[in-house]
Amino acid sequence: MGEFEVHRVRFFGLVPAGVRCLACHPRGSRLALARTDGAVEVYNFAANYFQEKVIPGHELRTVESLCWAAGDRLFGAGLSGDITEYDLSGLSAARGVDGGGGPIWSMVANSTGTQLAIGCEDGSVKIFQVVPGGIQFERNLDRRKGRVLCLSWHPSDTHIVAGSIDFFRVIDVTSGQTVQRIMVNHHVEKAKRECVVWAISLLSSGTVVSADSFGRVQFWDWEQGTLAESHTVSTSAALSLAVSEKEDSIIVGTSTGATYQLQLLPVTLGGQEKRWVRTKPFQFHSHDVRAVAHSPTALISGGLDAQLVIRPLMEKIQKKSYDAALRKFTFPHRRLVSCARKARLLLFQFSQYLELWRLGSTEETGKDGEVLPLCQMPEHLVQLKSKGPEHIYCSCVSPCGTWVGYSTASRFHLYRVHCDGDGVSLRKVPKVPKLLPPAYQLQFSADSDSLFVASARGSVHVFQLLEPGGCKHLHTLRPPSGVEGRCLPFLPRGSAQGGCVAEVSAVVPSVHCPLLQHHCTVPTYNCAVSALAIHPSTNNLVIAYSDQQLLEFSIPEKQYTSWSRAVQSRGLHRAWLERDSPITHITFNPKNPSHILLHDTYLLCVLDKSLPLPDDSTLLMNQSTLKQLPETARKRQLHAFKICKKFQPLLFMDLLDENCLVVVERPIMDFKTQLPLPVQQKKFGT
Amino acid sequence: MRRGQRNQGSARGPDHPTVPRCDTVLRTAISDQKPLGCWSLKHGQILTCPVVCNFETHEYIAVHDDKVLRIWKSEDISLDKAFKATLSADVYRIHSLPHGGLLVLFRGGGVRTLDELLEAPQQEIENVISGEAIRWSGAFMEDQQPVLIFTTEKDEDFFVYVQKPKLNSLHKYKLEQQESAKPLCFTAHITNQTVTLLCLYSNDSVYQILIPLQQDTEEEEEEKEILSKSLLLNFSISQAVLKGTSLVALDKDHIAVLGSLNAPKKQPKECLTIWNTKFQTLQTSKELPLGTSGQLWCYEEKFFLIHGKVLTVIMYKCETSSLAAAVGKLKCSQTPDVSSFMNWNTLEDEELVVSFQSQESVGLKAESRMNLRSKKSIDAELPFDSLSPGQVLARFKDAPNYLLETKFRRLMARAPTPDLQATVGGVVNVLTDRCKNSKYYPQDFLQEIVETWDLSYSLCPDLMAVGLEKKDMHLLQTCLERFPDIPEEITYACLKAFLSISEAHLENTDVNLDSVICYIDVESDKKEVKTEIVENGFSAQMDQDMCGTKIPKESQSWSDDESCPVGPQKAALLNAVLHSAYTETFLLPHLKNLPAQEAVLFLRYLYYLYVKCSGKVNTTLPGIRSPTINQIMDWMCLLLDAHFTVMVMLPEAKELLSNLHRFVRAQVRFYSELNKIEGSLRELQRLNHLRESHTYSIEVLEII
Repeated sequence: MGEFEVHRVRFFGLVPAGVRCLACHPRGSRLALARTDGAVEVYNFAANYFQEKVIPGHELRTVESLCWAAGDRLFGAGLSGDITEYDLSGLSAARGVDGGGGPIWSMVANSTGTQLAIGCEDGSVKIFQVVPGGIQFERNLDRRKGRVLCLSWHPSDTHIVAGSIDFFRVIDVTSGQTVQRIMVNHHVEKAKRECVVWAISLLSSGTVVSADSFGRVQFWDWEQGTLAESHTVSTSAALSLAVSEKEDSIIVGTSTGATYQLQLLPVTLGGQEKRWVRTKPFQFHSHDVRAVAHSPTALISGGLDAQLVIRPLMEKIQKKSYDAALRKFTFPHRRLVSCARKARLLLFQFSQYLELWRLGSTEETGKDGEVLPLCQMPEHLVQLKSKGPEHIYCSCVSPCGTWVGYSTASRFHLYRVHCDGDGVSLRKVPKVPKLLPPAYQLQFSADSDSLFVASARGSVHVFQLLEPGGCKHLHTLRPPSGVEGRCLPFLPRGSAQGGCVAEVSAVVPSVHCPLLQHHCTVPTYNCAVSALAIHPSTNNLVIAYSDQQLLEFSIPEKQYTSWSRAVQSRGLHRAWLERDSPITHITFNPKNPSHILLHDTYLLCVLDKSLPLPDDSTLLMNQSTLKQLPETARKRQLHAFKICKKFQPLLFMDLLDENCLVVVERPIMDFKTQLPLPVQQKKFGT
Repeated sequence: MRRGQRNQGSARGPDHPTVPRCDTVLRTAISDQKPLGCWSLKHGQILTCPVVCNFETHEYIAVHDDKVLRIWKSEDISLDKAFKATLSADVYRIHSLPHGGLLVLFRGGGVRTLDELLEAPQQEIENVISGEAIRWSGAFMEDQQPVLIFTTEKDEDFFVYVQKPKLNSLHKYKLEQQESAKPLCFTAHITNQTVTLLCLYSNDSVYQILIPLQQDTEEEEEEKEILSKSLLLNFSISQAVLKGTSLVALDKDHIAVLGSLNAPKKQPKECLTIWNTKFQTLQTSKELPLGTSGQLWCYEEKFFLIHGKVLTVIMYKCETSSLAAAVGKLKCSQTPDVSSFMNWNTLEDEELVVSFQSQESVGLKAESRMNLRSKKSIDAELPFDSLSPGQVLARFKDAPNYLLETKFRRLMARAPTPDLQATVGGVVNVLTDRCKNSKYYPQDFLQEIVETWDLSYSLCPDLMAVGLEKKDMHLLQTCLERFPDIPEEITYACLKAFLSISEAHLENTDVNLDSVICYIDVESDKKEVKTEIVENGFSAQMDQDMCGTKIPKESQSWSDDESCPVGPQKAALLNAVLHSAYTETFLLPHLKNLPAQEAVLFLRYLYYLYVKCSGKVNTTLPGIRSPTINQIMDWMCLLLDAHFTVMVMLPEAKELLSNLHRFVRAQVRFYSELNKIEGSLRELQRLNHLRESHTYSIEVLEII
């Protein structure tokens, strides 16, 4: 097919924020995750663990605890002392309700999801009623000295157990009185040190399970106040624990990055007497595991090393399928980089600032694998700090490199980039029309004279960009009624006329034509869209779904293309379907309409529609094999998927021109070195 | 004890055996543990054959006083009033066949169906056998034809008759004679038109006789066809011998034998045993301490036997035989399941009360399962090629030497069968047996066998001993190289033999030199070794300085070491020893016995190899089967361990040891230096990697 000059970029200094807390949806279909920067993400288990929703963080809004309540409502609470409800359709945080007890360390919902209990800095436990449209303070439970670090409801909602420093107590919910107070550092030599109960759980049998800073997981009979079992799982702190719904398995996260599974197993085979046994140790993380969750079929852990690890329990999985594979997610399932093709600029989006870089260049050419000498080094042009405490939702640079836009939860900003010689200056475009924030996606047209802003309820605003630095709101495209509530706009790249916009709800992509009226709706597919793009010349919409399906929809003909139908009837290659990271970006080769370029975190793929599709018996990743074959023998081996796995982990890939690619990598080691040091562990031989 | 024991009737279903006494017939429900009916003959009349039940009409048929037939139903109260028919000939037995009616076998061998007889009770019955006495009979259905098989005896000869009354066909066969043993008990079953007759012989073995059921009737002239038999099983349980009295075939792989177990110096114990004929194993056994009548019946997965004075019913279950089941590894336990028995005493007292007790099922698996690999030694007069390998081996055990080799070559040239390996092992065993204490020694033939077949030590345990006895170095070398399981004792014996044999003798011996040819030069180059040492970073001079006590004749001893201390033949043989597998703990005690001079020689050779190995960067010697550095080091350690005190004391070992010590120390230092370099290189690599992963590059990527 040809040689590409690849600009291999590793200077995107993204440091993903650590995972602070996890909350499994009670029905096990979704997982909510909060990061240390306050961002909240929702993963959909059914859609191949796709990161469905991201609500960017806020400087003042840390999230210490997340919980699902009243069905699908998600609440978060943090050290700001507020309880915040998240609008999952609008991807924003509603105004918080003050908990009234200082910083909130923990929050749990009762089994029916009607009440929330919060544990506060001042030692109080407060109950809030979940009401439509918000929450309402109900009452205070018995307050004792010492911050309440963790809470757990009894499954029957009669008692709450609250863990503090050195002790935990059990509170009767109806009377509000403390009925038992148990010191956890009793009879411990280290008793001079304080023992922090980091996590606690009250089982239906009346057993209290606590995880403390001495690295112990202890089982207590709270009514007697006696210790039933104690397992020292780690020499450093046990930070988190989660109990399976059946209460036969516990996962514990520790500050050494190890997680342990404890299982309730019969003492003798077939016997009645059961004991908790530490069964499986895992070391997936390099840093503190602050959050764990136990789904019916998997152990889920999130660490300060920003990794989310989903480890399926083999015994719960009926057949060997892709569900049985271990998954690790470090990077977001969305794009944080945009590229100005013509100007060869890259815009990197960080949580509170943007960086604009100019790529270097070379004058040499070479053979496969060679590193070419640079005649011009890449250049960091400008850093644009976002004003205010809000984190950035999305950003974009225009293809010509003269416009940069970004949006936060409340505001949309547009800048004009002026390049004068060596210096680069940014000037804010004044009087940007007020929109209904936030903007979820921004997209400049190919000729850089208009800007599309995808906003709430599936609407898309079209701006005309005016020289030397102004803009005008032209119109707003709205999806047909009936779907707007569910819409999350999703702007495709590369539309030629600049007026053709696709927007995507979780299920339905719909397409607007240049005449600015609703043109058609792509047939529903029961999976989240992870990327989509419109081919500039053929006007085919290519959609990648989170279950790794690829569809091509012809906008003029309002139907799937014949190639797409062929793909569907043949089925994609098994190895393709079994990848575990979604396609995050699709682009095209303007010179060759049959080429589609796409990438996920681990591979980049050039899809050549003119070549035959591979079947399961052929090797999907055959590039290295092909390279060893003589020219003549290659023909028979060629297939449509040309996959390169050289660049990992891949955050972004785009085609600058016909044979020039830019790839943005973020090696894990690079950002690990920027994380705070983990607990030092003596390793043998060091 | 004759009363009530002589025969038990053909059962009326599994649940209701009719228990006959010689003048009384009892019908008992096993499951309900009570008798259902009792019929007695008049005083003076005795039952002469077991009572059977006609399944179709639910009538009972008994014969008393040889000729008088009685037929009655369960409602009938008295036998006297039952139907009576007097026949013209003596009845041997009545057989009841499911869906096949009843067959009456007369003492003279004639067979009639009951219906025929009842039409004309006084009809003439032909005499088929002359002067022979029926010993056993059995009836079967095959192709909806009743088949009756019975065996007769006359003057130590046994005959088998296969009769199809419907077709009027009769075949007579003579049983092959077995020396000093005669049949005790028979049982048979029919599968695929073939009668399998199992015969329990008095020599504690079960033989299998296959009789084809010919469809054509013209075979009659071929009378007295001789049936050959094959050994199925031999009941020897370690030292004990099972004297079988009754035999029942359970399925195609299992037989049950009732008999007494005679162990030396022990009381004979009667027991019921189940054997797996496929794997020649004892599946289970159950002791019957109260003694039995020696008779065993089996109907529908239940054994019936008389244990003491009690009719005992034992349920059993035979699962498909698998290797796991045969060696006792199959999970679920089987026979005997539940045993219930009926108290015979109560019957004796004419109180028709049957008491049942249930006995716990006895798991006898572990205690008495033994592998019985029978020696298939059967002298048959069949042509050579159709003989089983075992038979060939047995037959040629005593053949003359010249014939032996050709015969065995023919045997081994047969198409490969699963047990060919074992056969070859057997051949070697026969050969080695013959070689022992005699001049006969087919050197080339043995060599050829060892080279062509993947044998192991356990297959032919005497081979290497014979090789040692005959000083066949080449054979020993090949064995050491090829056998995976040589005991340490033999390895040591070989080592000792190799070390002690004179070089002059070896010069003329044909030994495989592949392993030494590449590194032993007859005239070794003195400088070679030296340069090697310098290359390693330490000159001999430097080592000398480090060594506290200076040893005189340093250079001279050095030059002694650099040439191979043994000739190439001996070196090749020693290499074979180095190659063989061993366990340190088992080898060490033997190695201690090695004479000091030989130990020193061996150490010298090992040291030589070690120096040779270290000369190469990859520390491997060239050539096929040349010893690896690890093998050399292991043996060196072993040898030093075994002879530590001797080496210290021995003056001629002193130089060698100090040289060795110096060399080893130099090596240790050299490798620690390498370690340092490795550390630095690794750091460099890491830095390189870091630089490589620097922030920006433009690369060329070809996508095909």
